[in-house]
Amino acid sequence: MRAAHDRDWLGGMSGAAAVLSGGAFLTLMGFLLIDALPALQLEFLLSPSTSRLPDGTGIGPAVVGSAWILLIAGVLVLPVGIGTAIYLEEYAPRRRPATAVERSLDGLAAVPPVVHGVVGLAVFVRALGMGTTILAGGCTLAILALPAVVSTAREALRSLSPEVRLAAYSLGATQWQVVRRELLPTAAPSLVAGSCLALSRAIGEAAPLLVLGAVSFITFVPAAPSDPLVALPTQVFAWTTRAHADFAALAAAASVALLAAMVGLRLAGAVLGRALQRSAR
Amino acid sequence: MNRSASGRGPVLVAEDLSVSFAGKVALEGVSLAVPRGCLTALIGPEGGGKSTLLRSFNRLNELTPGAVTGGKVRLNGVDIHQGGVDAAAVRRKVGMVFPEATLFPRSIFDNVAFGLRASGQVGELHDRIEEALTTVGLWSGISDTLDALALSLGPGDRQRLCFARTLALRPEVLLLDEPTIALDSAATARIESLVHGLKGDYTIVLATSGRRQAARLSELTAYLEGGELVEHGPTETIFTNPRDSRTESYLTGRFR
Repeated sequence: MRAAHDRDWLGGMSGAAAVLSGGAFLTLMGFLLIDALPALQLEFLLSPSTSRLPDGTGIGPAVVGSAWILLIAGVLVLPVGIGTAIYLEEYAPRRRPATAVERSLDGLAAVPPVVHGVVGLAVFVRALGMGTTILAGGCTLAILALPAVVSTAREALRSLSPEVRLAAYSLGATQWQVVRRELLPTAAPSLVAGSCLALSRAIGEAAPLLVLGAVSFITFVPAAPSDPLVALPTQVFAWTTRAHADFAALAAAASVALLAAMVGLRLAGAVLGRALQRSAR
Repeated sequence: MNRSASGRGPVLVAEDLSVSFAGKVALEGVSLAVPRGCLTALIGPEGGGKSTLLRSFNRLNELTPGAVTGGKVRLNGVDIHQGGVDAAAVRRKVGMVFPEATLFPRSIFDNVAFGLRASGQVGELHDRIEEALTTVGLWSGISDTLDALALSLGPGDRQRLCFARTLALRPEVLLLDEPTIALDSAATARIESLVHGLKGDYTIVLATSGRRQAARLSELTAYLEGGELVEHGPTETIFTNPRDSRTESYLTGRFR
């Protein structure tokens, strides 16, 4: 009786959570789209420059800037993050406790994004002399994404059943062969999907890039990591602070583009993961 | 194809072997010689140390975090835990079949080829796979469907495929950990017939909770209880005239 009562109560709570979150998302999207529709034109999406005036401005540079940041952060964080996860899951438990690595990752996960910006400003922008560039933004967001990449990768690596793992070892496979031939193909879908999720959350962050000094007005599409730091979330923020009413529509339209990019990245992760699994087998 | 070396001397020897997991003792002071070409049965209640002893023979225990092994295990006279001995090489010589058929989620062919590919023995892959599948009696039935998913086979055939996967490596020793525990009586009979056929060609150590299975298949029997090797000897002697009252209680079903 008690168990049934608890189940009903908990089921009701989770149903309420589903309705609330679904409702909140739909409401948000509804309002955003209504606001964004006047501005959502192809010209706005592809415009090669931003402007101080609402007319004729676009998000082309911000989209390309965010793509650069995604590329840099991905190239930096994925090998390190997935490698760390493989070490912690496969090698560390049988060698020595990797508590130092785990604790530092926990600590890093607790650091607010804006503080990542402060550290990025001190280290990448100033100490390493990168300046307020896309490269500095990519490096900062790579560090911000690292704990999430490691934890989603560890979760993915646990998807291989212990029995299959043991069977592989019993057939004379080395640790690396078990990782490469069994673990990675089995974990690939969750690994890629989890990495894309972590990266999509990182590229949606405005706070650290604002601290780095991201620009909101640029007259060209960034072509290299050394170009000025410009990104979609900071562009949204910049337009929301403007008094002119037309900027509200621009901010909404840029928000829709940002959301579409993040959802697209997650979908791409899911598709790529399944393709990887097929090709590995 | 007799892969046994000449003589009936021990292939595997456990010397004062102790194993603990995170401080909990699973095996203590076990000394046992496994003679070449014989089938040795490990019997005893659940948790008695049968699987732990089996997994000591191919160094699988060390994959469990917190596992500590003391004493020695010699394979053909060489301590398998000493520095410079490759665990993967030991496992290729000392093959293992598990209670559940833990197949890889891929084709029948790839399952049997797994160990050969892992050890770089790909020159005669097809011949070795045919040989192994023939030995376990699967070849004639599935030779045309080697690309089919291994998981599409029935439970008994899956376990025979696990045998084939292990035999493809041409091991010296076969460790069988309750290989029929998850099977019905018909499939169990087929696996027992297979094991019977493998006797002589391989040194076999069979951990089983089936007393009758041990009596039917083995020449030697070792009784383990509470991580201790209570007694061992010829199967007939152990079953008809056990020295220790604990063995007698277990065999007569009076075990708690």
